[in-house]
Amino acid sequence: MPGSDAPVGAVLEARGIVKRFGSLLANDHIDLAVTRGEVHAVMGENGAGKSTLMSILYGMQQPDAGEILLAGRAVHYRSALDAIAEGMGMVHQAFKLFNSLAVWENVVYGMEPRKGGLIDRRAAIDRVAELAARYQLAVDPSATVGKLSVGVRQRVEILKALYREAQILILDEPTAVLTPQERDGLFDVIRHLAADGRTILFVTHKLHEVMTVTDRVTVLRDGRVVEKMVTAETSPREIIRAMTGRAVNLTVDKTPAAPGAPVLVAEALTVLSEHGRPVVDRATLAIRSGEIVGIAGVAGNGQTELIEALTGLRKPDGGRVAIAGIDVTGADVDGHRVAGLAYIPEDRAVTGTARAASATDNLAMGFHRHPPLARRRLLDRGVMAERARAMIARFGIRIASEKTAVGTLSGGNLQKVVVARELSHRAALLIAEQPTRGVDVGAIEFIHAELVAERDRGAAVLLVSAELTEILALADRILVMYEGRILAEVPAAEATEERLGLLMAGRLQEAA
Amino acid sequence: MSDTARSSSRLPRLPAVPMAILVGVLLGGLLVLVSGGNPFTAYLAIVTGSLSWSSLPNTLNWAVPLVGMTLVAAIPLRGGMINLGGDGQMVVGGLVAALVPLYLPGPGWLLILCAILAAMIAAGLYATLAAWGETRHGIPMLISSLLLSYPAIGFASYVVGFPLRDTTTGLAQTPMVPEAARLPVLSGPLNAGILIMAAVAVLVVLYDRFTVGGYELRMRGLNARFAGYGGVPLARQMTAVMFASGAIAGLVGALIVLGSQFRYQDGALLSPGYTWSGLMAALLAGGEPLAAILAGAFFAALQTGGFAMQRETAIPRVLTMVMQAIIILFLAIRHGIGRQGGAR
Repeated sequence: MPGSDAPVGAVLEARGIVKRFGSLLANDHIDLAVTRGEVHAVMGENGAGKSTLMSILYGMQQPDAGEILLAGRAVHYRSALDAIAEGMGMVHQAFKLFNSLAVWENVVYGMEPRKGGLIDRRAAIDRVAELAARYQLAVDPSATVGKLSVGVRQRVEILKALYREAQILILDEPTAVLTPQERDGLFDVIRHLAADGRTILFVTHKLHEVMTVTDRVTVLRDGRVVEKMVTAETSPREIIRAMTGRAVNLTVDKTPAAPGAPVLVAEALTVLSEHGRPVVDRATLAIRSGEIVGIAGVAGNGQTELIEALTGLRKPDGGRVAIAGIDVTGADVDGHRVAGLAYIPEDRAVTGTARAASATDNLAMGFHRHPPLARRRLLDRGVMAERARAMIARFGIRIASEKTAVGTLSGGNLQKVVVARELSHRAALLIAEQPTRGVDVGAIEFIHAELVAERDRGAAVLLVSAELTEILALADRILVMYEGRILAEVPAAEATEERLGLLMAGRLQEAA
Repeated sequence: MSDTARSSSRLPRLPAVPMAILVGVLLGGLLVLVSGGNPFTAYLAIVTGSLSWSSLPNTLNWAVPLVGMTLVAAIPLRGGMINLGGDGQMVVGGLVAALVPLYLPGPGWLLILCAILAAMIAAGLYATLAAWGETRHGIPMLISSLLLSYPAIGFASYVVGFPLRDTTTGLAQTPMVPEAARLPVLSGPLNAGILIMAAVAVLVVLYDRFTVGGYELRMRGLNARFAGYGGVPLARQMTAVMFASGAIAGLVGALIVLGSQFRYQDGALLSPGYTWSGLMAALLAGGEPLAAILAGAFFAALQTGGFAMQRETAIPRVLTMVMQAIIILFLAIRHGIGRQGGAR
């Protein structure tokens, strides 16, 4: 359907973009057109071709066929520098910032205002402050980037693009790392930018964000455009159907929990920050076999540190932890794993996998010390490969072979590698941290069903998620963390989004 | 998803290595030509001086310590760690290997065994100091391993310069070790040390490929956080790896003392620069043991050929060092470009 419904006067138009990686057709004749001042969502499951398309539009990769037009004029990018010169800007999921430098230094880097051969510091700071004020991006130009929160760092990235006079801004899953408040702040910024005549390409998985902030939606599936919609005229269900080709059940089918004996017990667990302030403050909890316990809380209220202390990644400064009756206080991760821990970490790329290693090696981690993978400290490579193939088949991981490096996988498939490995432990305790972050709808459904199956098998499951809907759908009990303390416990039957919201804000009385 | 991302995880892509050698040979030849020499005579001298039947023992004898020091660098590098303290560890091993047969009674074969084991243990323990500094006190091993070399070299220099000096000579060196405690000669300069080193090299390669520890070290090199999360005890692993690395450096010192020099002489172990050639070979191979061993052997041949060329022709052996540097630079450039293209 080339150009069939392209709006008149498109500021950016892609025509028939084709990109092939080996046998994989990542982009198959993609057409995309956006107008000035538009917020345009690009949606699709993991591996649908969104990232490839964006890197082509930003000049990081060259298409095998097709053309890119800016205001009707064909352009050819040799690198991202050409795209930036043409007014493109991109905020990547992983920020590209110098943490030890000030905000203004990051923003002007490579295009510094000069005076007499030196950097004109005053002019640079003024320009950055002016840009920040104009788009209501609350950032102190003199602050050191390393000391800023993730949300503010993202604003620095946006400032960088604006400073380079980007007319078209690509935001690649910008809310994946943000707290709800930071997310709302970002939406305000997006609206300001659009009102100012800039165009936003918004890559996301999250339906409510698309409904809230975008004007139009392009849905990709298997490298092709399957649908173009006007946001105001569509619904989340329709978008899901377009993304997955079927209607997805967002609620989870599960029977009432039948909890057994406590598996994970923590008593007065305390973790101190480097300044000696408690970030986990005498947390006491017991997770029993056969139940899913969710931890809700606004990001930064001690959930990350609590999990680090419970898994052995960090030594607690006080209190006691036991797994399946074995005291593991102060033990390393292996000590926890031997006692019965399986753990899906928050960040699959940084912690959960080794990108350059094969699927076989990634799927063996944690099993590699014990039979049948190892006998008398010798690895059985044949068994390793066989088990990897079995996990790839059972969890539907889309990968060329078990010898392929996992760094080539899309986010959802990489998460499946982590989930497959950790669930295969059939451990007494499963700690799942943000198990579906940045994962497509089909994979979310699959992972949710697997977590419930773990529970029904008799595992104790501790779930940490930034998505309240996920906790409400899965948990049998919900613990709310606020300023390092476990503020309240709510049975799933009595939990509502409103009540949890009040508790997460620390308003105990009002929530009662 | 790009192909470059996959291949850049290993340092040299296969065609890159012959290519780099070719470039080194061409540029080196050009250099000889410009300085008025004949590149063909020069290269003929290098090849015959390193690979001909009569010079092969020399090359192999040079390769024993060089390949040994390559392993010293490659083992930690496989796990993303760097041991720059090979000099100090080799000196500790060499000194201990000279002193044990001098001051311990017993039959020759037992002295050799004790000297080698004591040298390996002493140098291994000395290397673990750097690991201990990092795991307990957060002192970066990159720096501490290098700095720890200087007290070791200084201490050895004092010991052989004053209390334990061979007073019959004017040099800072120990007396000669008894004949019975020297390594048996195989052919010309070549002694039984090569068999020991070959066995160690084979063990390292097998360990890397087939053991749990080899897998854990490789995973740590690819992503240390992932290894720690998977239950690999990182601190204990670092200590063990440094012990192994230091022990091999100690072995190198012992083999030189017991096989070639028959005494510890101040500075004699360090002047050929085995540690740094070995480090370059290991970096070239990205820590992969078999490739590192091959790179180390290649450098040994090149360096031995250089000596021969210097004897046979008017061209100084510095030429081979220049070629070595060009090869490494060229590979590093190619690797850098590959990386850039692979980054997404």
